[in-house]
Amino acid sequence: MRSDRWWRLLIIGGTLIATAGCATSEEWQTWNEHPAHFASGTHMGFSVRNREGTSARVTRQDIATSRTEAWWGKPITVSQEQILER
Amino acid sequence: MLSRSFAIALGVTTLIAVMAGGAASASPDAPADRVLPTSEHTSPKAQSLASKHASALRDLNFDVYHCLPWVEVAKHSIGFFKPRGAPDDKRFLSIRVYIEQDPSPQFANLTFEDRAAAMFSRYVGPLLRRMNRSPGVMNDDAIDGFTVVLEWLKRMPARGTRPVHETIAVFVDKVDADEYLVGRAGSRELATRGHVLAWDGETPRGALKLAAWDDDFVSTFKVKNYQVPSGVTCH
Repeated sequence: MRSDRWWRLLIIGGTLIATAGCATSEEWQTWNEHPAHFASGTHMGFSVRNREGTSARVTRQDIATSRTEAWWGKPITVSQEQILER
Repeated sequence: MLSRSFAIALGVTTLIAVMAGGAASASPDAPADRVLPTSEHTSPKAQSLASKHASALRDLNFDVYHCLPWVEVAKHSIGFFKPRGAPDDKRFLSIRVYIEQDPSPQFANLTFEDRAAAMFSRYVGPLLRRMNRSPGVMNDDAIDGFTVVLEWLKRMPARGTRPVHETIAVFVDKVDADEYLVGRAGSRELATRGHVLAWDGETPRGALKLAAWDDDFVSTFKVKNYQVPSGVTCH
């Protein structure tokens, strides 16, 4: 009986770990509406990775994130259709 | 009540799923939506080229994404497009990029033509070389030419206003691109022979004749502390 309980705990724990990194569609919606929410989380990861005393490193994802943070709004620019046809 | 063997199987499956997810996220990749899908090209010729050179298009996207990280390729902008208004079904291998750079008063104070010439000099040649890295592309006479569309922030937007981009579209016939790629022509000749259209925001500025020069910015500039993912080689 005690053994069954242990296995149940293991399964529940494993499932939680497996799904922890997967955003639900609702979470993606939240991120789309509030990109800074996501950016803050990534910044935290960046700080943790670049500990004092180690050489700093910037990944492609860091650059994409900083671009999102510096986003000034939808730019006024020529549309692709004005230049090229599919 | 769960049987022990079922529990073990489920636990092992979960572990494998976690490990597989980790492995997938570790391999370098680039956003796939930068390449126009073959089916969205609108002529048989364009679809044939897109299908034939699919791996070259993916490689171009991958290379620019990882090796020029300050450059952002526009969605669905890599493909075999027809220059707007071209009389026949001329198909140019094309790419559109937004160039991110620190706002510079010196750059903003240049004339529009001088800003366009500076951007042409920095980016058109290096992108043209990347577009022709595949021998299959370079030797395919069905490709009529190349289009490089460059856009950049005109100036820092004032609070509450939308940013304005300046854009140039550079159309180069294949024969002129070949001359440049084999070293028989430089950026100056490329700018003279190519056709350059410009826009200030959404406003057309018409055709430009640019005085371009050979600029090694792309091969020498490095984003501070940027680390290319393992498995990626930048030339």
